[in-house]
Amino acid sequence: MILSIAEFIGRFHPVLVHLPIGILLIALLLQWLSQRSQYALGEGALRLLWVSGTLASWLSCATGYLLSLSGEYDEQTVDWHMWMAVSLALLASLLCVLIFKHVTGKWFRAASLLLLLLIMITGHLGGSLTHGADYLTSGLSNSDGQPKTVAKVIPNIQEASAYTDVVEPLLQSKCYSCHGPTKQKGGLRMDSPAWLLKGGKEGQVIRGGQADQSELIKRLLLAREEEHHMPPKEKPQLSERQIALLHWWVEQGADFTKKIKELPQAEKTKALLLSFQGPAQQKMPSTVPEEPVDAADEKALQRLRDRGIIVLPVAQNSHYLMVNLTMAAAIKDADIELLLPLKKQLVWLKAGGTNISDTALQFISQCSQLTVLQLNSTRITDRGLPLLRSLSNLQSLNLVGSSVSMQGVMPLQSLKKLQAIYLYQTQVQSADWKQLTRAFPRVQLDSGGYKVPYFTTDTTLMQPPVQGK
Amino acid sequence: MMQNELHNQRLLREAEQANARLHTRRHFLRECAFGFGSLALGSLLQSCSIGSANAGTSAIPFDPAHPLAPKLPQFPAKAKSIIYLHMAGAPSQLELFDYKPDLMKLDGQDCPPSLLEGKRFAFIRGVPKMLGPQARFAQHGGSGAWVSNYLPHFSSIVDEVSFLKAVTTDQFNHAPAQLLVHTGSPRLGRPSIGSWVTYGLGTENQNLPGFVVLTSGGKFPDAGKSVWGSGFLPSVYQGVQCRSEGDPVLFIKDPKGMDRDLRKASIDAINQVNEEEYQEYQDPEILSRISQYEMAYKMQIAAPEVMNINNEPAYIHEMYGTQPGKACIANNILLARKLVEKGVRFVQIFDWGWDTHGTAANLSIDVGLNNKCRTVDKAMTALILDLKQRGLLEETLVVWGGEFGRTPMLENRDGKQNPFKGRDHHVEAFTIWMAGGGIRKGVSYGETDEIGYAAVSGKVTPNDIQATLLNQLGFDHEKFTYQFQGRPFRLTDVSGKVIDEIVA
Repeated sequence: MILSIAEFIGRFHPVLVHLPIGILLIALLLQWLSQRSQYALGEGALRLLWVSGTLASWLSCATGYLLSLSGEYDEQTVDWHMWMAVSLALLASLLCVLIFKHVTGKWFRAASLLLLLLIMITGHLGGSLTHGADYLTSGLSNSDGQPKTVAKVIPNIQEASAYTDVVEPLLQSKCYSCHGPTKQKGGLRMDSPAWLLKGGKEGQVIRGGQADQSELIKRLLLAREEEHHMPPKEKPQLSERQIALLHWWVEQGADFTKKIKELPQAEKTKALLLSFQGPAQQKMPSTVPEEPVDAADEKALQRLRDRGIIVLPVAQNSHYLMVNLTMAAAIKDADIELLLPLKKQLVWLKAGGTNISDTALQFISQCSQLTVLQLNSTRITDRGLPLLRSLSNLQSLNLVGSSVSMQGVMPLQSLKKLQAIYLYQTQVQSADWKQLTRAFPRVQLDSGGYKVPYFTTDTTLMQPPVQGK
Repeated sequence: MMQNELHNQRLLREAEQANARLHTRRHFLRECAFGFGSLALGSLLQSCSIGSANAGTSAIPFDPAHPLAPKLPQFPAKAKSIIYLHMAGAPSQLELFDYKPDLMKLDGQDCPPSLLEGKRFAFIRGVPKMLGPQARFAQHGGSGAWVSNYLPHFSSIVDEVSFLKAVTTDQFNHAPAQLLVHTGSPRLGRPSIGSWVTYGLGTENQNLPGFVVLTSGGKFPDAGKSVWGSGFLPSVYQGVQCRSEGDPVLFIKDPKGMDRDLRKASIDAINQVNEEEYQEYQDPEILSRISQYEMAYKMQIAAPEVMNINNEPAYIHEMYGTQPGKACIANNILLARKLVEKGVRFVQIFDWGWDTHGTAANLSIDVGLNNKCRTVDKAMTALILDLKQRGLLEETLVVWGGEFGRTPMLENRDGKQNPFKGRDHHVEAFTIWMAGGGIRKGVSYGETDEIGYAAVSGKVTPNDIQATLLNQLGFDHEKFTYQFQGRPFRLTDVSGKVIDEIVA
C-alpha cells in the first residue's frame, strides 16, 4: 500500500494539533492579563497571536479530517472530536474578528471562557483516540494495571471449542487493542466472528481453508522488520506455536463453532494443540501464602535449634518457616509441642522417619498454615490422622510407610486444597482403591508399588553384525 | 533481624580479615628467622583467603566454620535436590526422542551442500551420506511423546517428563561442551552447578556431603574433574566423588587396631592444632579445614550406611536392574535416590560411552547406542517411579541428557567410511529431558526441522537450562553471584533465560 498524498498530509495532524492549543491558550492568558500594565502586550502582538492561533486551528481541522479518512479510529469519538474542533475554530475566528473591532467587553470574556472549555474537550477527545479511551483513568481505578481478562484454563484441549476457547483469547490478547471496539486500524475489527469475516479496508483477512492466502496469517508470518508485519514490531508478538495454531485453524476452515476434536489434525498438530492444554496456563499453586506474616518468636526458634531441629525461613525476606525434624536425634511427641509458637509461620514440615505418634498430630493439627507435611515412616495411625482435617491449607501429605488405612484417610476429603497424598507401603488395601479415588477426585493419590517389568533386553547385549558395513 | 545479624557478622569478619592481613605481615617479619617455610606458608594462606575475603561482599553469607550449613534461597523453592544424569559422549537424539520420518527417505543420499556450507564438524569431511533413524519410534502415554524402541521402559513414564527438543550448544568437542553444560562456560575455572547450589543453599544433612558425584562407564568425562569442580568458590563446595565399587569413600573404615575413640582423639588433636593456627593467623580457610575434619568423622558413621545399596530390599534392586558389586550406572542411580532421600542437595551422575561415531561396534548407532540404552533405561525409569512413590519427585528435579547432539549425517571420518554406522558431534539440536521438582509433566518443548538438523522453535541453550535449575531451587540466576577478581560472577555468565514453558 502506498500512502496517498491526502493520508500523508493527514499524518501531520498529531504534530499540528499542539499549535492551536498552545497559541490560543497563551492568547487567552495574555488577553485576560492585558489590563495589568506589567503584562500588557502591544495590540499588534495580541492580534498576531489570535490570528496565528486561529489559522493553526483551521489547519489542524483540515489535517485531522484527512487523517480520519484512514478509518483506523473509533467513528463515534472521531465525530465528536471533529465537530468540537470545528466549533473551536469558528469560535476562535469570531474572537479574532472581535479583537480587530476592539470589542473586548463582557461578551468577549464569556466567549473566551467557552473557547478554553472547547480546547480542553477537543484535546481530551483527541487523546482518547490515540491512546485509548481509558488511558487517563486506567491507572486510577485498577492499580495493578493488569488486563481484566484472565486466560481460561483448558482441562482437555480436544473438548475445547476451537474459536471461543483457543483462538479468541489469543486474538483478544494480541490484536483487539488496535482492531477492536476502540480502534479499527486499517478498518479492521476482530472482536466478533462477523467483524473478523468482514475484513478491513483491503478486503477479507481470512480465507477459510486457505491459510497461506489469508492476509491474517501472511502478515503474522512476515519478518518482524517488514512494514506490514503484524503485530507491529514494537508490540507484543505471537509465539511460533500461537501462529502455528492460527494457521491450522484457518487451514481447517476458520470454523467458529466446532470443537477441536471435530477438526482434522495431523500428528504434529496434536502435539501443538496439547501445548495449549491445561497446565499451559495453569501454574502450580504456591506452597507459601502470599499475605505477609510476623516473624516467629526468636526464642522459640532457638529452642528448636538447641534440640537439633533445622528451622529456616522458606526464603530470604520471608517469615514463613520450614522445619526439618529428620536430622535431630530421637524426636519424641513432646518435642512437637515446640512447634506451636510457630504455628502461624510454619508451612513445610518434614517429620519423615521420626518416632512421633498420634499424640504429635494434636500439635501438628494446630499449625493451620501447613501446606506440605511429611509423616512418612512414623508411628501415626488412623486414630490420629483425622485430626489433620483442621489443616485447610494442606496441599501435599506424605504418609508412606505408616500404618494408616482407608479409614484414616477418608475424613481428609474436606481438605479442599489437597493436591497429593502418598500412600505407598501403608495399610490401604488394593480393594479400597476404587472408593478412595472416587472420594478424592481432584487429588493425586499415589499408591506406589510400581513395577518396572523385566525385559530380556535388560540383561543381554545386542551383538554386532559379523562384518561392519 | 536475621539480615542485621548477618550484616554485623560480615562487618566483623571483614575487620578480622583486614587485621589478619596486617598480622601475617608482622608475623613474617618477626618469624623470618624460622626460614622460608613460614614465608611459603604465609603466602599460601594469604592466597587461600582471597576467595573467602571476597565472599564477604557477595550476596550469600559464607561462614567458614560452617560452610555447608543450610541457607536460604532468594524465593521459595520448588525443588530441594537435583539428580543430574549425564550421558557423557552425547547420545543421539535422532535414535531416542526426535522422530524424523523424513530423514529415513533421505537415507543413503549425499548430504545437500546447504547443510555443509559454512559449517564445521568434529570429524565429518567432504560430503557425507544422510543416515535415517536406526530405531523404531512410537508415541507413548497421554502426552503422545515420541520415544524409540531403544528405551522401552522409559516410554512408559513419558507423562512424568518434560522434553526439551531444541537444545543447542556452541561447542562441538566433548570437554568444552561438558564444561558448558555443567559450569556455564566452555573454559576451565568456573564452579559447577552442584558447587553453586551447595554454596547457595548449603545442605540439611551435615553428616553427608552436599554434592556427590558418581561415575560409571569405565572412564571419566572428557572434561575431567573440572565438571564437578568448585572453580573460584571455596573448595569445600566441590563435588565429592564416590567410588562405584567397594568402599564408596576410600579409607572410610577405621584402620585395623584403631577404634572409634582413638580416631576421635586424633581428629580432636588435629583440630586443636588447627585451632591454634587459626588463633595465630585468623585465616578462615583453617576453620573450613576444621569443619571438614569433623564432617569426615561424622561421615564415617553415616556414609557407609547410606552409600551401601546392599541393604535395599530385593524388589527395589529388581526395579532398578542393579548389578551389586559391579560398577554400573544402575547401581549409581539407586544410590542417587538414597542420597537425595537423606538430604543430599545435588547428585551428579556421569556415564561414559555414548560417543557413537561408528568407529567400533560398541560405538555404533545401531548396536552400541542400543546397548548403552539397555544399561540405563530400566534404572532411570525406576528412579522416576521410585521417587514418585516416596513423595520425593515433587521436590527432586531429575535431568537427563548429553553435552551435544549428533548429526543427521552418517559420519565419514576424514572423508572415509567408518566400519559401523555412526553420527558425528552436532551442536545445532539435541534433546534433554527433565522431571519432578516443579517441572511440568508430559510436555514437549521446542522443535527441530524435518530432518532434525537444526532447532526451528523453542530453542534453548545450556545456560537456559542452568537458569531453570536455579529457578526451581529458588534462585534468580541473574542475582545469584560471587565476587571474584573484581567482578560478580554467575553460573549463567551473561546469558540464560528461565524456560517458563516447562515450569509448572
